[in-house]
Amino acid sequence: MKIISKLILFLLFSNSVLYAQKEVTGTIKDEAGTLLPGVNISEKGTSNGTVSDFDGNFTISVEENAVLVFSYLGFQAQEIEVSGKSVLNVVMANDQEALSEVVVIGYGAIERDKISSSVSTVEGEELTKVTASNPAESLQGKAAGVQVLSGGGNPGASPQILVRGITSNNGTQPLIVLDGVPLAQGTSLNFLNPNDIKNFQILKDASASAIYGSRASNGVVLITTKRGAAGKPTINFDFSQGFQRLEKINVANADEYIQVMNLRRTNDGSAPIYDQADYNTSTDWWDETIENFAPVTNLNLRASGGSENIKYAASVSYFKQESNYSKGFYEKVTARFNTDFQISDKISIKQDINPRVESYGNTPNVLYNVLRIDPLTPVYLPQDERTGNIFSIYEGSNNQVPNPVGSIARLFNETKFFGLMSNTQFNYEIIDGLNFNSQLGLNINHARQDVFNPTFFTTPNEQRQINNVTRRVDENFNYVWNNTINYTQDFGKHYLNVLGGVLFDSQTYNYVSAYREELPSDENPDLRYIDAAAGEGVSVGGNEAVETIFSGIFRGIYTYDDRYFFTGTIRADESSKFAEGNRLGVFPSVSVAWDVDSEEFFNVDFINNLRFKAGYGQIGNQNIDRNGQFFSIGTGNYVFGGSRVVSNYLSQFGNPALQWETVEDKNVGLTMAIFDNALDFSVEYYEKTSQDLLFNVELPNYTGIPGLVAQNVGSFESKGWDIQVGYNKTWGDFDMDLNMNVSTNQSKAVALAPGNEQLFGQNREDLGNRFIKITELGRTVGLFYGFETDGIFQNQTEINAHSSENGQLIQPDAQPGDLKFVDTNNDGVLNDDDLTTIGNPFPDFYGGFTANMSYKDFDFSMQWYGSFGNDVFNYPRTFMNAGTQDVNIAAGTLGRVWTPENPSAEFPRLTLNDRNGNYQRPSSLFIEDASYLRLRNVQFGYNLDIKGFQKFRVYVSGQNLFTITDYSGFDPEVSAGGDIINDFGIDYARYPVSKTYLVGLNLTL
Amino acid sequence: MRRIYILIAIVGGLVLNACDKDDFLDQPLRGRQQLDDYFSTAENSELFVNSIYSQVNGESWYQIEFFRQICEMSTDDNWAGNTEQPRPDITGIAAYNVFPGSSYINSFWEFTYIGITRANIALERIPEVEMDEDLKSRLLAEARFLRAWYYFDLVRNFGGVPIVTTYTELLEPEIRDVTRSSEDEVYDYVESELELAIPDLPLKSEYAANDLGRATRGAAQTLLAKAYLYREKWPEARDMAAQVIQSGQYQLEPNFADIHSVNNHHGVESIFEVEMITNFQFTDIGGTISTTSGSRTDQGWGWCVPSSDLENAFLEEGDEVRLRSTIIKHGEPVFGDPEVESFDAAPTRNKSGRINRKAYIPIADRESPYMIGQHALPVIRFRLADVILIHAEAAYFSGNEQAALESLRQIRERVSLDTDMSLSGVELRDAIWKERRLELALEQQRLYDLRRQRVNGMPRIASILGPNGSFVEYNTEESTDPFETTNLGEAQNKGALFDPSVHMLWPIPPEEIQLSRGNITQNPGY
Repeated sequence: MKIISKLILFLLFSNSVLYAQKEVTGTIKDEAGTLLPGVNISEKGTSNGTVSDFDGNFTISVEENAVLVFSYLGFQAQEIEVSGKSVLNVVMANDQEALSEVVVIGYGAIERDKISSSVSTVEGEELTKVTASNPAESLQGKAAGVQVLSGGGNPGASPQILVRGITSNNGTQPLIVLDGVPLAQGTSLNFLNPNDIKNFQILKDASASAIYGSRASNGVVLITTKRGAAGKPTINFDFSQGFQRLEKINVANADEYIQVMNLRRTNDGSAPIYDQADYNTSTDWWDETIENFAPVTNLNLRASGGSENIKYAASVSYFKQESNYSKGFYEKVTARFNTDFQISDKISIKQDINPRVESYGNTPNVLYNVLRIDPLTPVYLPQDERTGNIFSIYEGSNNQVPNPVGSIARLFNETKFFGLMSNTQFNYEIIDGLNFNSQLGLNINHARQDVFNPTFFTTPNEQRQINNVTRRVDENFNYVWNNTINYTQDFGKHYLNVLGGVLFDSQTYNYVSAYREELPSDENPDLRYIDAAAGEGVSVGGNEAVETIFSGIFRGIYTYDDRYFFTGTIRADESSKFAEGNRLGVFPSVSVAWDVDSEEFFNVDFINNLRFKAGYGQIGNQNIDRNGQFFSIGTGNYVFGGSRVVSNYLSQFGNPALQWETVEDKNVGLTMAIFDNALDFSVEYYEKTSQDLLFNVELPNYTGIPGLVAQNVGSFESKGWDIQVGYNKTWGDFDMDLNMNVSTNQSKAVALAPGNEQLFGQNREDLGNRFIKITELGRTVGLFYGFETDGIFQNQTEINAHSSENGQLIQPDAQPGDLKFVDTNNDGVLNDDDLTTIGNPFPDFYGGFTANMSYKDFDFSMQWYGSFGNDVFNYPRTFMNAGTQDVNIAAGTLGRVWTPENPSAEFPRLTLNDRNGNYQRPSSLFIEDASYLRLRNVQFGYNLDIKGFQKFRVYVSGQNLFTITDYSGFDPEVSAGGDIINDFGIDYARYPVSKTYLVGLNLTL
Repeated sequence: MRRIYILIAIVGGLVLNACDKDDFLDQPLRGRQQLDDYFSTAENSELFVNSIYSQVNGESWYQIEFFRQICEMSTDDNWAGNTEQPRPDITGIAAYNVFPGSSYINSFWEFTYIGITRANIALERIPEVEMDEDLKSRLLAEARFLRAWYYFDLVRNFGGVPIVTTYTELLEPEIRDVTRSSEDEVYDYVESELELAIPDLPLKSEYAANDLGRATRGAAQTLLAKAYLYREKWPEARDMAAQVIQSGQYQLEPNFADIHSVNNHHGVESIFEVEMITNFQFTDIGGTISTTSGSRTDQGWGWCVPSSDLENAFLEEGDEVRLRSTIIKHGEPVFGDPEVESFDAAPTRNKSGRINRKAYIPIADRESPYMIGQHALPVIRFRLADVILIHAEAAYFSGNEQAALESLRQIRERVSLDTDMSLSGVELRDAIWKERRLELALEQQRLYDLRRQRVNGMPRIASILGPNGSFVEYNTEESTDPFETTNLGEAQNKGALFDPSVHMLWPIPPEEIQLSRGNITQNPGY
């Protein structure tokens, strides 16, 4: 704002300067030699001033003996005496402290210096190094305390952001606030073009985030988009093109498959099932379904500029990513127009418009079946046996796994999004320092999903006799209306910033869907619409839901002499999700900071900056089914007297006593910069404790209660350290910037309500209908749960020795080669009382390392990301080396399973009946350490010196090129599910993260 | 000044809006009725009671009905059958290599309790509804009958189970601490509930045609007779069965083949049935068993196929009439379906090369397209022949052999079999038991009959199954059946793993043990 006001002053008064006596010109660069546009140049003690132009040049008329003041955000201000010189070439020095500049903090902006709470910033420039559909993906490893959990390699998959561990089970995603507008819970950042983002601010502790009250308990991510600056227009063009590649997973060929399937039977004393002589095909299902190269394209064009009164930043972008299957894609076109209007010296308006179209679809989810289907089955029926339509030409497999090539062929499922966001901000400066701001954010989302299911026949269990088509249309409208009054003033050494406001937030969800059967054709795509269907099978749906929040906020910031800092906030929220009487939540916070280096007594030369800070706050969580309080009625059918009758039943069991979940948060930290700011360091410790934890409880089935019941069940505590170290140095033309961050976190349950002493998740049918995740009092949340194994029985003696005190065999059905399960409670019986925790999915620590280097026109960057000490439940292990069914196994299984000749094998013997339950119980057999270190991105660029272009950079880059891990599964970076406690750390062989190779171009005019 | 006005207007608007804060925050549930407003009319009360019926067979094949088929497979009457799909959670259970985590056991438990809770809600809310008192007492009695049905179905499979009898207790935290009641407590509850329901339930003939299928006094009496039979309360079972027989509401279907037919809904013999219709708009009101037990060459899945041992039982008795209406054999014509001259039972994929005729729908009677969830074949849960045989057995054990013989004769007469009226003692007992097997074969009775019928205190199932069981010995040593002895995809020694100290009950689903924090304990041996 200062630049702008100076600019305005300059323009207003420059023509009236009558006594200019000398013209001074010059060029301004930074230490690296980059030309600096927009530097403020003013004649000290006058109102005379100018700014440097786009090429860093300036011209100013001053008095002979004037002193010129050069100032620019992020640089140390310089005063230079003109002393008769007419050319002044200035090098501006970086100012680490001032680099803090103005940052948004929620309902306002402030110099970073004055913040006493915990905020991490990630600049947009860092994000665009990774080509990804979702900007959140590029946040991975960039900020301490921020974990980004991959959504998998599916085109358009959204990752999950986790800020400082888990205090809550419901909706662990942070609140995303885009240019001041809070987005609805669960909004995917796919709609944002990474190139539009100026920066991310991550509010990590309660003293920073409490201003967002009831939605802040999982942290808050503030996203600021780029805005125009006055001056010559800048035009950027970015392009990258690449491809993605999946690492092949080798499964057994026909020979090995037959041997294993036969051994499973002969080991049990049964007859073999296959005769090698009958089979001469060996289908490689991976090659039949996976494409080697899946292209990814990214195009971005933006322009920005403007005058003092009107500024603009406009962009359009195109992104397309194809899946590694023969079908499946994600594609989007987004545009953004950010404009700033200075209507008068008191009134300014910002108007941002962000339209977009996204579509994705048809990405099959067949990796599981690709791995499991037997290699004896050919892909297609012989020509002479094809009697049905084009979807019925596929061979049914010998082991009853659906033919994945057929599944892909008949997959028709596409979704298109049309969205428009509008953000209007009106600012009125009532008197100097006192501003009224009214912001109206509108977000309209329209989604249309079309599904077509053709008729086909493969086997009696794998067929559809009537084709059908479904269209679902969702229309969501959210608005936010924020009204705030802000007073900011310096009184000598005292600085005061006070804010108060009233906020409205409303989200409306609507849908209609229609389903109808019997289309006249399976093959004509023009007939895949409801109007063409003529069948009796019709199903329609439609409903509306509304969520609202009404809030009041207050914040006071006081600083003294840039040494002592204090912030206090309070927010009151009322949410429609709770019944009257439980609606109100009040969320206070305070934080303090002390800048030691600004004290007079502090005179350690090599320390440039030393600051301590501490904060305390309460924040809330209301992420629970909006209808959680209601007992609702569902509708079904029954038959009496030959006719259908309607039936009604209780479909949801509500909880009218449901209330806010509150999180109490304490944070202490220290930041330090030394050696001329070359090395900076920050460390923070936090403790968060939730009360009235919201949890969707699954009650015992004897209650007959359908589904889950939302309850306030207890208290989780999450604590950990965030450490960040940066090193930044220039040696002549060589510039280096290194950044590393490491975080630890432990989240445990510290109180659980009666009846909910154990919270379970992830019921696995094939592992005995047992839950494989448990949360218990005093323990880390969401631990893996199962039987402890103690190796493999080598002989009958060992089996006999595994007995109770009175000689009863603990595993009477075991044979040599079976797993030995631990009788945990020593009662001489192996049953569900012996279930115990067998692994921890959360890492001991995780972190990232980023290096940026440049030498003259060359630049190089790389990013590493790692997670250490975390276990993964390797679910494919339940079948990849035998298991309970005749599914295909990993290549080399014969060498990995126990036989008398292979006593040190990791996996138990082959058996079909599996009377010992080797593969019918969750056990430590499936748990693996999945620590990994991954080269997330590496990029090498060269800037060509081409006339007319400010920048003409070409680059090559690779993503996920290699990973260091001992994990035996496909990808140690397992996808997160929707429910963090219960889904985290389970490898379900979803579409793994692929390697990406790219070439790109960045142009600036 | 103009700007000041704008500001005042905005702030004023704000304040006004804030006054409507409660309107802004009151966001009702849309598109669904709520329980507290729901029970206001007689019509709603009736619609709610309708939903209790839905769990008698489940709303989908896997919820309830398929578990009953697995119970059938676990007897000497059937094989698991499908040798194409290796399914330890089906074939394993049939062979008594029981996988406690089978989702079929789990869903049977879960959906049965959902039925109980629906009944509990109805019984708690309907009394407060202003409506015709006769209708009210009928609806309450229907709910009571169905709740007794569900507890009966639980106790005979799992032994003692948790008893939840009200809706209100679900709202209390103590609901999490419920434990299993004893087997006797559950049976006592079933009996006392049925005694309450019986007087308020109409006779079958008192229902309007469009209400056929609702619980009748005969249905409740049959269930009570069966509960007495299972507990060996012989005189009570005999008398209760006699009440049904003498009610005049039912008679034996003259032609045995007509009992299970898409063209005979609520037939003269039917006491309680889940009616099925073809309605392509819905999948929860059509039959499923014709698909799950159909031949794999006939759109079926091939599960639960009759054994040669069962066929031999008919042949020994010279019982051609019931054999042809119970078993379809590979390569032979299908009785009652002129379109099939040589049935393809896919013997390479079907253990026994046989298919359940009672679940089979003749080609001409099939819906089009023929598919699961659309078959109009009713599922008859109780029929008169069952009651007559209960009477025979209970009369025999009450010392009334003449009455027993008379009932036995009635059943045999329909299928043109003579009855040796001189039978007595264990011979008569065995004849009644055998008659039960033949008459009710594949009707999901066999497992429970074998568990409860005892010889010298030992359950019959233990002499039929187990390593030295007669069924196991027949299959492994004597059988020359061309299908069963050649298709070894399902092991020939099925049942050898049966252990009477474990397998008289099914396991409690492990999920339930976890969710109850161990309050619900596992049955011994699992």
